[in-house]
Amino acid sequence: MNRYHRIAVCLAAAIVLLAPLTFSDRYANLAIRILVAALFATAFNLLWRQARLLSFGHGVYFGAGMFAAVHLMRANEAGLNVPLILVPLAGVLSGLIIGLLCGFIATLRSGAYFSMITLAIAELIYSLGPRWQALFGGEAGISSMRIPSMGLSFAALNEVYLIVLGWSALGFVAIRFFAKTPLGQIAYALGDNERRLQFLGYRTHAVKVCLFALSAAISGLAGGLLGIAAENVDYTVFGPASSAAPVIQTFIGGADVLFGPAFGAAILTGFGNVFSDVTRLWLLYQGLAFVVVVMFLPAGIVGSLLSSKKRPLREAIANTLAVLLCSASLIFLCESASILLSDSYASLRANQGGSWVSYRLFNIELLPSSPIVWALPLIVALAGVLVSCKLKRQEEAA
Amino acid sequence: MTYLLTSLVNGLVFGLLLFMVSAGLTLIFGMMGVLNFAHSSLYMLGAYLGYSIGRWTGFWPALLLAPLAVALLGAFIERYMLRRVHRHGHAQELLLTFGLALIIHEAIKLMYGPYPVEYAIPAELARTAFSVNGFNVPLYRLFIGAVAISMFVSLFLLMRYTRLGLIVRAALSQPLMVESLGHNVGFVFLLVFAIGAALAGLAGAVAGAFYPTGPNMAEDLGSIVFVVVVVGGLGSLEGALVASLAIGLLTTLTVGLDWTLAGALAPFGLSGWAASIGGLFSITLSSLTGSLPFIIMLFVLLFRPAGLMGERS
Repeated sequence: MNRYHRIAVCLAAAIVLLAPLTFSDRYANLAIRILVAALFATAFNLLWRQARLLSFGHGVYFGAGMFAAVHLMRANEAGLNVPLILVPLAGVLSGLIIGLLCGFIATLRSGAYFSMITLAIAELIYSLGPRWQALFGGEAGISSMRIPSMGLSFAALNEVYLIVLGWSALGFVAIRFFAKTPLGQIAYALGDNERRLQFLGYRTHAVKVCLFALSAAISGLAGGLLGIAAENVDYTVFGPASSAAPVIQTFIGGADVLFGPAFGAAILTGFGNVFSDVTRLWLLYQGLAFVVVVMFLPAGIVGSLLSSKKRPLREAIANTLAVLLCSASLIFLCESASILLSDSYASLRANQGGSWVSYRLFNIELLPSSPIVWALPLIVALAGVLVSCKLKRQEEAA
Repeated sequence: MTYLLTSLVNGLVFGLLLFMVSAGLTLIFGMMGVLNFAHSSLYMLGAYLGYSIGRWTGFWPALLLAPLAVALLGAFIERYMLRRVHRHGHAQELLLTFGLALIIHEAIKLMYGPYPVEYAIPAELARTAFSVNGFNVPLYRLFIGAVAISMFVSLFLLMRYTRLGLIVRAALSQPLMVESLGHNVGFVFLLVFAIGAALAGLAGAVAGAFYPTGPNMAEDLGSIVFVVVVVGGLGSLEGALVASLAIGLLTTLTVGLDWTLAGALAPFGLSGWAASIGGLFSITLSSLTGSLPFIIMLFVLLFRPAGLMGERS
């Protein structure tokens, strides 16, 4: 039974992972971005899961990989014949070198200081970016074209997806097996108690530099993969947003599980792609989800799913129901606010002589002055809170 | 000469503004070990609240009400959010404030739109204080400086000469011991967090009228404020003051200098060679102004990790 189970899981995974090969460019692009984000978040989490080092500047190594890949592709256009499948290696190399340099400085300290140094390095590169024309291409960035190699034209993104899939798999395997090596084990001990490790005679700084360099190299690989898919890059890749992404994805997914960050990256990138067309508040919802997870599910989504003791089904359903009710009401209120506070609505109102004008939300015509519009979300939220309170009381009674 | 004077005044005022924001951050960091990523968001919130309240009440009452509102929010964050995740460690607290910064940034964009609002200086302060060599010093710059200095003096007196200040200083270094002596350290934490938030809010309400009040003001100031805290030394008010002034002066003084690394090599006869290489060698100092604080911070961390006035590392 167990064997069939495993075969079924492997088959399903293979189908899901290979399906993008038949997709059109738009969805192949999304699949590539999901894989890249998953690899990047997992590489970032290498530092946190093992050594408890929280980096807020990993966008630097990702960006370095992306720039290296695009530069190599430009060299390819000029006549250097590196097959496309090897181009992401430039990302690994640049991530490794810059990671060694920055890691040496950053890991001199740990805790909040480490976070601040990584942040400062990222800000430094970000502020230098637009000034350094030759390397970063100024404000416009640099771009290139994929050159056919090894019998494939690489004109369509699903051919590129094959490369991305192969390299990401290698990256994941590297991270998985690094944890089993002696160095990986020492890195775990480092996260538990650095002082003790020092007394045992280990050079903890060297261990931290190695770990940092590995994490940066795999981040560079992720950047290189996005580089060959996107074919262009500018200095904003060093900005705060790209350093924040792996942090958010990792902790929403679950930082202490190997595949937690990948899960977080996959759902956030997927949802982000769908919802950023529908709403301009996607980043707000992502931030809210992050804070809610940090406060109520410290182990992340995957972490708490795995660790929770066999909870009764009724309880799980009630919990999900409470969360759904509250978030539905919140989304309704935020979207309404976003419409009612916009300039276009203000001018619409001014045209009507200052009276309340109805607005459309989720294909429903709503009038802001009617009490039902405001009472309904409040009632829904209240219902959610009541369900959650009742659950808590039952838990306490039991 | 005029350039030097302009830069000095601008730099001093910018430094004092940096101090107003970083004072709260360094106190919170020193005391609770929490690196508050949302601190500069509270500064931004102060500016926007000052603008919104000011439209109803006028500038002066808003200057009092906006910091108060931000202090209440700070107290709420400490009591109901930070304290909840405290048992999961400092990293979890840091992540929480990081998430709060994201939310405040997006919420401000939702409420006020992506562009800066017109938060104007009140008419009675929109004058020139004095002019030297045809260079006018706006009265409002002096006002920002005066607010910051009076804040520093009152904070310093509060910390040095009152019983509350004594407890706060003790809790900075030995929170467990202070708790054993029967003081409510939890309440002291709440108070420090609220006061720190109020200071950031006040800085925002004062500075927002002079500098642009837009959704990016938190991001622009945020990392520089971290630099100030690190350079000044953990939990040290005096260190924060010195570091803010130094960084404020340095960034404004270098804005107009077009020195390059190639130029610096001129005495060795290498400037032509360096300029031909370009890249790093031909970047002017003025274009590095934004990067300078971070370079300083890296050097301080490498050579004096405790900061200028920090006592422990």
